[in-house]
Amino acid sequence: MTDSEISLRTEGLSAWFGDHHVVKSISLSVSRNDVYALIGPSGCGKSTFIRCLNRLHEEIDGARVQGDVWISGDSGSENIYAPGSDPVAIRRQVGMVFQKPNPFPGLSIFDNVVAGLRLAGVKRRSVLEEVVETSLKHAALWTEVKDKLKKPGTSLSGGQQQRLCIARALAVRPKILLMDEPTSALDPISTARIEELVMRLRSEVTVLIVTHNMQQAARISNQTAFFLMGELVESGPTSRIFTKPKDTRTEQYITGRFG
Amino acid sequence: MKELSLRDGRRKVLNWSAITVLCVLSFLAITPLFFIFSYLAVRGAGGLSLAFFTELPKPVGEIGGGMANAIGGSLILLSIASSFGIPIGLACGVALSELKVGVTVRALRLSVDLLTSVPSIVIGLFAYAVVVVPMRGYSAWAGGFALSIVMIPIVARSTEEILRLVPSHVYEAGLALGLPRWKVLLRLIIPGVRAGVTTGILLASARVSGETAPLLFTAFSNSFGFRGLNQPIASLPVQIFTYATSHDDTWRQLAWTGALVLVFVVFLLNLVTRFLIRRRE
Repeated sequence: MTDSEISLRTEGLSAWFGDHHVVKSISLSVSRNDVYALIGPSGCGKSTFIRCLNRLHEEIDGARVQGDVWISGDSGSENIYAPGSDPVAIRRQVGMVFQKPNPFPGLSIFDNVVAGLRLAGVKRRSVLEEVVETSLKHAALWTEVKDKLKKPGTSLSGGQQQRLCIARALAVRPKILLMDEPTSALDPISTARIEELVMRLRSEVTVLIVTHNMQQAARISNQTAFFLMGELVESGPTSRIFTKPKDTRTEQYITGRFG
Repeated sequence: MKELSLRDGRRKVLNWSAITVLCVLSFLAITPLFFIFSYLAVRGAGGLSLAFFTELPKPVGEIGGGMANAIGGSLILLSIASSFGIPIGLACGVALSELKVGVTVRALRLSVDLLTSVPSIVIGLFAYAVVVVPMRGYSAWAGGFALSIVMIPIVARSTEEILRLVPSHVYEAGLALGLPRWKVLLRLIIPGVRAGVTTGILLASARVSGETAPLLFTAFSNSFGFRGLNQPIASLPVQIFTYATSHDDTWRQLAWTGALVLVFVVFLLNLVTRFLIRRRE
């Protein structure tokens, strides 16, 4: 794999809550246009790990990060934990979708989608309208909401709200999209729609998705990493992880013997 | 079986008597409100006229006159109080909910709580010392200042509580878009809780509209109408106090009508607040 194909690479990434060491020296490479699934039992550090990739972990009181995360941009590779690196600028390149749908309360569907651009100073109505349409189309929500863009985002169903949040994240054109159990609060039909959507998003962005659902990881990802107690046990092509795991702990987990 | 049905009967009687006791006591609790409203309506409604809202009070002994000065004065005092109390209260509430918890925030919260429980007459004394004495006289400024101190803790605590209801992941969603903290707060979070914040402001206004003690030796009163913000100014509560304790029948009638109007305004503010809360839910 040449360096230019790598979208994101962590080197010895560790994270703490106070004295609690929750992510232990993880080194991982994610290629451009991967859908990379992170699986593991509750509390294994996978959510904390992806929250380090857009420097959101440090926003929590007492939280601390050590190690390097390289993301490749237009001007080569950049370490987001380099001294002087600006978290605000990094988050424009690394978007995030959360476990619970969280549209901004009181904002319309339109305003939710353009929130990132508008507050960054994009004012032209025609530009914003175009972004709303393309983002909502990418998030497979356009046909359902195109006639009610002025309605509050919170008036949509849970599944629609989650797709709205995906559209909102895509609107700032990130290179990488982090998804933290994006379907765990949704019904099976909404889950299926989001899974389809993620598979189509591959051509646009690199996706890292945390999931509790192993079938989901098997269905939508091409690479999988298995986390256990803050450590990376094993990573590789999804098909291999699920059929010929090298580590017995991975095998035990995916065959449902714990977790 | 017989024993069981007997027990069942006992349970029903107990249940029934408990409900009765609750109803009677609840009724007792709201009786004063009913009497206040009906008594004010009976005694005050007779004095309601256009003149009451548009005319100045007449000297003792003369028939007629209104409380235009007190109504206008109350509005001016409320405006002064709001223009200091609301921004400071809002800033305080935002600080309480957003700043990292440390000694400063804990001290701020304790101070705000203490301020809520300071008797309003003491707030009046404080305003007397820091505004009336240096300005060498009673004034609308002093009254508005005293009322704003009553407002600040109410606005601050309600704003803090509303902001705390916003889940932290909504905040994080804003940060994850690559926006600085202050922009997320001011442009995405606060607009979403407008209704809740407005509710707190309205409640504070309702509370302040009825305050008398902080005005007694700050705004004082006058019966000539508006003479400028550096001069004593009338207000409904103080005027009601003065007229109700007088021996003039016309004045006493004005006091009743004034009380009716004041209660009605406060009642209306509370209704609007409830409406906003309902709509938010």
